[in-house]
Amino acid sequence: MKRKALLISPELCIGCRGCQTACKSWNQLPGAKTTNRGTYENPPDLTPDLYNRIRYVEMPSETNLVRWLFVRQMCMHCDDAGCIKICPAPGALFKTKEGAVAFNKDKCIGCKLCVAGCPFDVPRYDEKDKISKCHLCSDRIAEGLAPACAKTCPTGAIAYGDRDDLIGKAQKAGYQKVYGQTDLGGLGAIYAFKDTPKIYGMDERPAIPESVVFWHRVLKPLAYIGLGGAVAASLIHYAAFGPKREEGGEEK
Amino acid sequence: MTQMVRKANAFEILNHWVIAISFFVLTISGFGFLFHLEQLNSVFGSFNNTKVIHNWAGVVFSVSLFFTLFYYLPEALRLSSDDIGWILKAGGYFSKKAVVSPQDKLNTGQKFYYLFVLVLGIAIAASGFIIWLMPGVRKWVLLSHLVHNISFDLMIIAFPIHIYLGTLANPGTFRIMVYGTVPLEWAKKRHAKWVQKMGL
Amino acid sequence: MTNHWIDFKNADVILVMGANPAENHPISMKWIMKAREKGARLIVVDPRFTRTASKADIYAPMRSGTDIAFLGGMINYILKNNLYFGDYVVNYTNATYLVSPEFKGPGELDGIFSGYDEKGRKYDKKTWSYQLDDKGLPKKDPTLKDPNCVLQLLRKHYARYTIDKVSAITGTPKEKLNEVYKTFASTGKPNRAGTELYAMGWTQHTVGTQNIRAMSIIQLLLGNMGMAGGGINALRGQSNVQGSTDHGLLFNILPGYVPVPTASIIDLKTYIEKLTPKTKDPKSVNWWGNRPKYITSYLKAIYGDKATKDNDFGYAWIPKLDEGMNGSWLVLFDQMFKGNFEGFFAWGQNPTCSSGNAGKVRKALAKLKWMVNVDLFDNETNSFWKGPDMNPKEIQTEVFQLPVASSVEKEGSLTNSGRLAQWKNRAIEPIGESKPDYEIMNELYFRVKRLYQKGGKLPEPILNLTWNYGEKGPDGKIKKFDIHRTAKEINGYYLEDLYDKKVEPPKQLGKKGELCTNFVTLQADGTTSCGNWIYSGSYTHKEGKVINMMARRGKDDPTGLGFYSGWAWCWPVNRRIMYNRASVDLQGRPWDSKRAVIKWNPNKLDPKTKKTTPAWEGDVPDGPAPPMADEKAGKYPFIMRPDGMGSIFGPGLADGPFPEHYEPLECPIQENPMSKQRINPVIKLFYEKDKGLPEDVYYNADKRFPYVATTYRVTEHWQTGVLTRHEPWQLEMMPQQFVELSKELAVEKGIKSGDKVIVSSARGKVWAIAMATERFKPFKVMDNIIHQVGLSFHFGWQFPEDGSGGDSANLLTPTIGDANTLIPETKAFMVNVEKA
Repeated sequence: MKRKALLISPELCIGCRGCQTACKSWNQLPGAKTTNRGTYENPPDLTPDLYNRIRYVEMPSETNLVRWLFVRQMCMHCDDAGCIKICPAPGALFKTKEGAVAFNKDKCIGCKLCVAGCPFDVPRYDEKDKISKCHLCSDRIAEGLAPACAKTCPTGAIAYGDRDDLIGKAQKAGYQKVYGQTDLGGLGAIYAFKDTPKIYGMDERPAIPESVVFWHRVLKPLAYIGLGGAVAASLIHYAAFGPKREEGGEEK
Repeated sequence: MTQMVRKANAFEILNHWVIAISFFVLTISGFGFLFHLEQLNSVFGSFNNTKVIHNWAGVVFSVSLFFTLFYYLPEALRLSSDDIGWILKAGGYFSKKAVVSPQDKLNTGQKFYYLFVLVLGIAIAASGFIIWLMPGVRKWVLLSHLVHNISFDLMIIAFPIHIYLGTLANPGTFRIMVYGTVPLEWAKKRHAKWVQKMGL
Repeated sequence: MTNHWIDFKNADVILVMGANPAENHPISMKWIMKAREKGARLIVVDPRFTRTASKADIYAPMRSGTDIAFLGGMINYILKNNLYFGDYVVNYTNATYLVSPEFKGPGELDGIFSGYDEKGRKYDKKTWSYQLDDKGLPKKDPTLKDPNCVLQLLRKHYARYTIDKVSAITGTPKEKLNEVYKTFASTGKPNRAGTELYAMGWTQHTVGTQNIRAMSIIQLLLGNMGMAGGGINALRGQSNVQGSTDHGLLFNILPGYVPVPTASIIDLKTYIEKLTPKTKDPKSVNWWGNRPKYITSYLKAIYGDKATKDNDFGYAWIPKLDEGMNGSWLVLFDQMFKGNFEGFFAWGQNPTCSSGNAGKVRKALAKLKWMVNVDLFDNETNSFWKGPDMNPKEIQTEVFQLPVASSVEKEGSLTNSGRLAQWKNRAIEPIGESKPDYEIMNELYFRVKRLYQKGGKLPEPILNLTWNYGEKGPDGKIKKFDIHRTAKEINGYYLEDLYDKKVEPPKQLGKKGELCTNFVTLQADGTTSCGNWIYSGSYTHKEGKVINMMARRGKDDPTGLGFYSGWAWCWPVNRRIMYNRASVDLQGRPWDSKRAVIKWNPNKLDPKTKKTTPAWEGDVPDGPAPPMADEKAGKYPFIMRPDGMGSIFGPGLADGPFPEHYEPLECPIQENPMSKQRINPVIKLFYEKDKGLPEDVYYNADKRFPYVATTYRVTEHWQTGVLTRHEPWQLEMMPQQFVELSKELAVEKGIKSGDKVIVSSARGKVWAIAMATERFKPFKVMDNIIHQVGLSFHFGWQFPEDGSGGDSANLLTPTIGDANTLIPETKAFMVNVEKA
């Protein structure tokens, strides 16, 4: 199956937040009691009951009074996903055949290592200490439907489809940067940016923490090799030298 | 009848078993986590149980490690020129004829092994507790994750050698873990300074 | 809308002024963004940098209530630079008409038009008339040079709206004005189209109607009316408000925009004589000339067999307005406040939060004997008696709450702003005891009828209603309401066999008992019935089958212009773009072949008969008549106007044939920079120099209330928030009343974003959370720095129950309305802001 993805285009986003509502509706997530903090942006961060949100960024503009950006925050569905990599519980976090990074609460052990492994600060934990995050509506896409957010987005700022097609579309539209094309093995949420990712508050080069990569590449194999090596060395030593005997007259 | 001397008291014996078993449990569960060994972990029921057992085995391990401070640490820190001699002869393990310097209650290898275990034990326990109790504090968890795994790798190398040396390589040693006593003759050969100090 | 939602994608320039589609009509942005993808320019004019503005190519800030100055400047720019579409203006508008030399404009009379009666606050429109030739037709000057021709008068009128003057009034920087004018005026070429989108930002002003008129003039000058990607498009504020207006929601119109008679129009004959527009020009279609057919068919629809020729088709039974009586919103609640009402149905509305000067409404409800509140939830209106500053012990109003089904719990049609009537099915059964509105009305009707059967004054209007919306039980009550029967009654029936007797042999047009084909076949002799002529054709008989046209789901779009003519049904006669005869030249060739709405094909092939006949292609044209150039049968394009022409000169309105800038009732300056006349001279004043209710008080240019304020909606909530405040997902995003203000004003007042502040006006006060933002900037008005703030009107004290949401911004707004419609002016008033 071709890898599926979302193409997020902040230039098309009107900040209506239909995506926030549609997501909650499909996933049956409760609304939170919030306050107005002097901005449209709300809730202030992702929560176990909020899989995606729009950040509102006001910045200077050369042509208009101000530039008002609406940038979506959500799980990026990395191909090389730090969360899956670091997760100690098999099946708790997994990749679907469409390429979504999905989760199974029953298998989650609540260790929260994925929080540390994620380069985008996405995983959250519910009141039962189980992982909670965007899963690209893995239940919907498995049935050939678009994720709830993409389905509801009025302007096509969230587009769902074959990843290669979406990248081609973004490139053809002349965006300066197709974010996430190759990072982390290629993101499942690609962003079409008119400017540098920094303007949109995104990491220029998102990556899994180096320590996690080192652990994965070196320490993990070393645990097997070390254990095996130590046992083998002991046996070889035994064969070569045998047990230490008391005779020898080293007594003084 | 062979004259026996007591090398370890009942508490020490018990504590060694506790630390050994907890380490064994931690290692098995740890391997399960590392390599998603579902069958290995089925021993514990589920991965959720595994986590609970791993965490609490860690507590047991830590407490046990703490108790060792009172009887191993003073011994391990008592270093002398004989220890250099031991090292120069590699403990006599690579020669059938080598004569090593007379050793105290703990020989040089045991002293260093203990210090090694102590340092790594503290590191793996502390990092484990951080991962357990400070979830989501990304910087600390990442550092701890690294320390935990480096410590684990080193321990997983040292652990079989320790067993080997305590069993096959040195017949007669394992009984200490069972009875706490060793034959005087055996002790004289291997821990001459200790026997001397005891005035036997 | 003259056009429709999808049509936005065909525009080259989109002017959003008086609207905020990204926030209030998010789906429309789909089409706006599509247009932009193809290179269209989006202009947003708004006091505040909105979410729509975030997508704009040009954003121009403008002080609330100065739209006419802004647009007047554009008219001046277009005329001065000769950017208007000459052929269009000369042939399709009244620009060539010669106006009476006695007509004088505000330029000459310092702010007023000729014929003003100061005491009566109204105009005698005698001088606003045309010079007539001997045939009784207006005299014309196709060269547009006569000083009394409409175009020259227009030129003279708007010459006063110079860039400097406009900038001084609106606070818009001059370079922004020029940029907007230049960009929009670029659509004056035949191959370019510009559209305008407006909403309550234009209508809710004392000059609301004239705001739209000003734009109509621009669109006629630029030749954008009737074009794909053109037109003037009202983005309606509620999903079916177009439908309810079409069906006679307003006090002064019957279904289909047929006027409600006044008491002096005693019989149908007088009604027809007085209210049917006439023309002497054979080339003018004057569609409203068919009014006798529509009123008669309407009477036949509601009174059926009881309506006979002998009893004037029951004309006497329909309600009449007293002469000069106004039954609009503000007047209604003013009368209620004065104790002139016993009861009130608040049906799907929450006037204690939605009305201008909502505080007065709250007090007015306390004067009632009873009130019925029909809504999904308890709301501020239903519970007004226990609201803030209310003493329940003193209030005698008995309140009944009827739970009503939501839109997904009932079947029926919804008409969107593009006049598209779409049929929808019921998704789920109504919850609990709630019932669809029509079931409640049915129950109500039956009970009222039973009371009248026992006696009462003038029972006929009730007893004689057909009310054939389902099978009746032995007690005469409809057991199960069938909404399809309503839809069919609206479409209308042939009550007799109908023949076209002009051809020989007479051709049968309709069969007795069948549904009407469309309004073209309606009759004035009682042989047809039709509940709403503009919907005739929506539920019809075709080839022997009954077809609900509104339920159609065809997805073909052969022109690529987005008509989707097989999707649902659009009034009138499924015409997707109104006045489309203006999109072609005199020979019927499209002005722009790339977006041909219609075109005249002299050899159109009839697929059935395989014969070729000259006919129109494309959208449903405004009548089948050949193009205007056809000497005998050609017709003018603006068929709803008696003269067939687009009205640049519009003598029909109460406040002048040309829009003139007047300040809002409450404004930050002492005088109107344009003239001595500060406010619209013909608006109905509810309060005047200490005369009137204290509730209606207003202060102009008063130090206590130094900041301009406006109200609006945001995406996250709907109207007064009764539906959305109960929705935790929406409330989570927008939990509290807020006020947006510039960072400059915030610094001046020591307010930080997130602070609780008190916003007060002459009428009341509300608390709000301050949002200090770069998106609001102080205006430079007549060399003074003027601050403006804005509040949403989505909140109310009743829910959330802990009061954390705040209360309605309409506690601040004034009691004043538009000169023509009396729509309350909630978009421009004066307030103060202080830290709480």
